[in-house]
Amino acid sequence: MDEHPTRAEASLASDPVVRFRDEHRFLILIVGTIVISIVMVIASLMIYNLSGSAQLDLSRPGYQEVSNKVDRNDEITNYSAFGPVNKATVTEFTDLYDVQAEKAKAVDAFNGDPLNPEVLEFGDPLTTVE
Amino acid sequence: MKTHTRLVVFGLVAALLLPFFAAHSVSAADLTDDQLARIGANCVTIKSSLNQLHVSDALLRVNRGQMYESMGTKLMNNFNNRLGNNSLDNKGVTAVTDSYQTALATFRSDYIAYEQQLSAAMRIDCSKDPSSFHDSIANARIKRAKVHADVLRLHEYIDDYRSAINDFMLNFERVTGSK
Repeated sequence: MDEHPTRAEASLASDPVVRFRDEHRFLILIVGTIVISIVMVIASLMIYNLSGSAQLDLSRPGYQEVSNKVDRNDEITNYSAFGPVNKATVTEFTDLYDVQAEKAKAVDAFNGDPLNPEVLEFGDPLTTVE
Repeated sequence: MKTHTRLVVFGLVAALLLPFFAAHSVSAADLTDDQLARIGANCVTIKSSLNQLHVSDALLRVNRGQMYESMGTKLMNNFNNRLGNNSLDNKGVTAVTDSYQTALATFRSDYIAYEQQLSAAMRIDCSKDPSSFHDSIANARIKRAKVHADVLRLHEYIDDYRSAINDFMLNFERVTGSK
């Protein structure tokens, strides 16, 4: 094994960029880690905001008063995708469906006009909100 | 042929320009000095009302959204699959389910747009910039009306799906001879 550096190796060692990299490896590692973390946090926050997750997150500050009013019991029974199809099974499904359809249509969500300027300036808009 | 090309070009240009005119019609709402003064004077009350609306609408979105999601995944999809697994004609119910899922996706995206607009309006200092605040609220109002229209459309598809099941049942009874 030849222990003397070749001309190419000697030229690399004299390159200031290579020398800086070799002398500050630990610092570069720390800075690189921080930069990658910042990029990842920004990307995840963007996904959180753009995907609509932010709108569904009632644990955010300001939503605590309603977070306990979330309907946590999903009462809809899972109708099995497997099994026979006959009048009895279809009736079983329609009975289930009719009950849920009635519940789904019972609330006319986002009706009213609480953002009407007149309502906002003179009255309480929540009187028209479900 | 030339007339058709011109019509298409005109249509494209009109479609591109329409949003600018629509946006202009909202922001061009001329507010009187009295209205501006009222917004400034009632700024705290208005902000408080908006905040309550923001919170109550978020709760409504979570609860109603959950209900609509479950109807699609736990009932409609599973019933359609059961028909498919039994090699029965499920085209009618599947078509309604597809429309329902599309309407549900529109509901989700329209709600995001509405929520972001309302949040943007709430960030404006209405005592300093009542005009921008008014325009922003007007936009949020339009977007909220869209969300309500989406809800009504979902209710229509829920009814349509029930009618599609009735049609399927009539056909099924006719083919199998069962009553």
